[in-house]
Amino acid sequence: MANNDRPVLELTNVETYYGPIMAIRGVSLKVREGEISVLLGANGAGKTTVLKTISGAMEPQKGKIIFRGREIQGLDPDRTARLGIAHVPEGREVFPFLTVAENLRMGAFSRSDKQVDADLDMVYGYFPALKDKLHQKAAWLSGGQQQMLAIGRALMLRPSMMLLDEPSLGLSPRLVAEIGEIVQRVNRERQMTILLVEQNARLALDIGHYGYVMEVGRIVMEDSCARLKEATDIQEFYLGMKDQGVRGRRRWKQRKTWR
Amino acid sequence: MATHSVDIAQSPPAVTIDGCNSIPALFWQRVNGLGSRTAIREKDFGIWNEYSWQDYGDYARRAGLGLMALGLERGHICSIAAEVCKEWLFADLGIVCAGGVTNGVYPTDAANQVEYLVNDSETRFYFAEDEEQLDKILAVRERTPSLQKIIIFDMEGLRSLDDDMCISFEQLLALGDEYGKAHPTAFEDAISAAGPEDLLTLTYTSGTTGPPKGAMISQRNMMYMMITLQRVYGIRDTDEQVGFLPLAHVAGRMFYTFGSIEACSIINLVEDMETVFENQQEVAPTIHFAVPRVWEKQYSTVSIKLKDATALGRLAYRLALGIGKRAGSYRKAGQAVPLLLRLGFFIAEWMALRNIRRFLGIDSCRWLSTAAAPIAPELIDWYWSLGKPMYEVYGQTECAGIITANAQGGVRLGSVGRPVADAQVRLSDDGELLLRSPGVIQGYWRKGDQTAETFQQGWLYTGDVGRIDEDGYVYVLDRIKDIIITAGGKNITPSEIENQLKFSPFISDAVVVGDGRAYLTCLVMIDQDNVTKFAQDKNVPFTNYTSLCHTDEVQALIWGEIEAVNARFARVETIKKFRLIDQLLDPEDEELTPTMKLKRKVVNEKYAELINEMY
Repeated sequence: MANNDRPVLELTNVETYYGPIMAIRGVSLKVREGEISVLLGANGAGKTTVLKTISGAMEPQKGKIIFRGREIQGLDPDRTARLGIAHVPEGREVFPFLTVAENLRMGAFSRSDKQVDADLDMVYGYFPALKDKLHQKAAWLSGGQQQMLAIGRALMLRPSMMLLDEPSLGLSPRLVAEIGEIVQRVNRERQMTILLVEQNARLALDIGHYGYVMEVGRIVMEDSCARLKEATDIQEFYLGMKDQGVRGRRRWKQRKTWR
Repeated sequence: MATHSVDIAQSPPAVTIDGCNSIPALFWQRVNGLGSRTAIREKDFGIWNEYSWQDYGDYARRAGLGLMALGLERGHICSIAAEVCKEWLFADLGIVCAGGVTNGVYPTDAANQVEYLVNDSETRFYFAEDEEQLDKILAVRERTPSLQKIIIFDMEGLRSLDDDMCISFEQLLALGDEYGKAHPTAFEDAISAAGPEDLLTLTYTSGTTGPPKGAMISQRNMMYMMITLQRVYGIRDTDEQVGFLPLAHVAGRMFYTFGSIEACSIINLVEDMETVFENQQEVAPTIHFAVPRVWEKQYSTVSIKLKDATALGRLAYRLALGIGKRAGSYRKAGQAVPLLLRLGFFIAEWMALRNIRRFLGIDSCRWLSTAAAPIAPELIDWYWSLGKPMYEVYGQTECAGIITANAQGGVRLGSVGRPVADAQVRLSDDGELLLRSPGVIQGYWRKGDQTAETFQQGWLYTGDVGRIDEDGYVYVLDRIKDIIITAGGKNITPSEIENQLKFSPFISDAVVVGDGRAYLTCLVMIDQDNVTKFAQDKNVPFTNYTSLCHTDEVQALIWGEIEAVNARFARVETIKKFRLIDQLLDPEDEELTPTMKLKRKVVNEKYAELINEMY
């Protein structure tokens, strides 16, 4: 499973600021070819900032980001997109006044090959619901459909790597499961390397191969998802499983040790 | 100023403060005499609440009466498991005045340790700080037959608790009110019944071998210690302390609880263990005792901050500290600082030193003091250079606190000072330090064998090797059991080397190994904040604590620090190899004491494999 020799993406000691505030404090991580790597963490831990820094929406103050052997830190988002990194932002961010079809074509904006139409069919294959709404404005889609559209739009880039920011946000449990399945299918069928940020730790650990846990801008734990699922801190703080104690209703929290 | 008398000609020695020969009597005199003056402050939800001596007395009285209502009799043991908080003090004095004996339990103790402590001490009443502490005692109560009642300070999250054995502290006070109405003189009667040889507190100490032993500190032992504190430090009734050390430790109780009763000074209790630093800045204590770990951390915080300072700032610091060091050398010896140097020091304070002291919250301190563990003399000197006297003192739980002290006008760095008044220190034929004073306790609770071993013909055998110089200054070299004899037959006192290592801002603690081996090695626990900062500044990639420890740069950094220490020691005393403890340890782990120091024995066993790798 873990294929140590070929990281597609490698971050070393990346620091990113919002004005004077250091949002990520020296993050180092690796994403390996063909794997789904997940990044867990509470609100404000800096997960989204990591993705934004990779895709170039934000510029790191320090550190290196190496994508397929090339340093990409500080490149503009359009450049990183052309290099094959598709960022599906948090909250979908579809173009509301464009139709579904137009939104999808926007994903292929930088492409000049002739296979764009074929790729549209590929997206409809993954998301049949979108096909029925081709000419509707994206604003009228449901939350789940918008999320599908956002992922579909990213696929239209024919990226070699996808950055997914909380695809399960605000979705019903059934849709969460559906999106999870699609992410897995995309990974398997298209050998897509994925870096997934998720609050839904159960989903993320179920579909991911390797995971990192972030707290206040730092990575505090990393391991294979299978082993993370067994770690007591993860079970207590992310999976809501805990020893109920002698009274059957324990409220206090263990100190986190991340081991 | 309180009046004292200590008569060691009598057997047992007679000790009185303001005419009282027991702590309950003295406490009650203070409550009646000081009334509305502030005794305790505690920060709660961001506000410093004040409690007067009258409040202190009222709470103690109600708690004491409440315990009597529950069946407390003279000599019964009550345990308190809580961080330092006002309820700890209220309950403690309530217990003691009502004739009970207080035993402190560290809030970090695990359930099985709680079980041992409750059973060994035969605790009847158990005070639990909150839900977390409650759960520990509930988990083991099936196996603690002596336990009668659990009293909970903080009921947050326990509204629906329905258990015959548990009541809240509020309920205990209400019981006390009722009992007080029916028995109006019960509390005062109990206070007058207290005798100087009564047991005051059990304080558990970890032994060389076997489980912890309860040191039996009597009223007289602690009364003598209160007098000793006054004689050594000169504590005024206007003095302010910050309370953050655990009250389960003898130092915390001695300074915060009993020292304040003797001196009528104010104790300010921190809001939370996480806010100690901020709270100390707010309080600006006038006297400050802390353990070496705290002083080391303060020093390393400043030295790391300096690395971020401008070149000019660093230059100012170096110059100021140089002047401070020269001025300090006069002050340590109790000599007047020459005029020119005084002028220089004035400028140095203005340039840098005062800001550092303010930042550390020690600017208003008349003195600082350290004990309870070995400390590097260089570190003490640093505080002298900042312009604050720091007195290293020495003692043990078994002598109720302090036995030797570096006091005003006679400080020798590296020594723990001279014996305090009415105390004697001598060396056994093997070089072990032996102590005698009215503070030396009668023995260990229900452990006759260990008592007979440790207390012989009126002398307390400390287990420390030391020496005494021609002027009577005592030097503690190490614990006897910790002395390393290398394969080459060389005797080495590891704590001397470890103190130097801990002086590095990057090393939090270290354990030197080498008993029966060809050379010395050590295990190092890094200072997480400072090493993390180092790695970030140097662009060293790492993810978590473990990977941080394994980076080449951190390994090289620590090795550099070790080499710098090696340069100061003879060749046989140098460290040849080291390993980092790559797990982030927590006080709840068995490797650490509640004050975050590595336990040598546990570390040696637990990391045996890591140690063997080095040979």
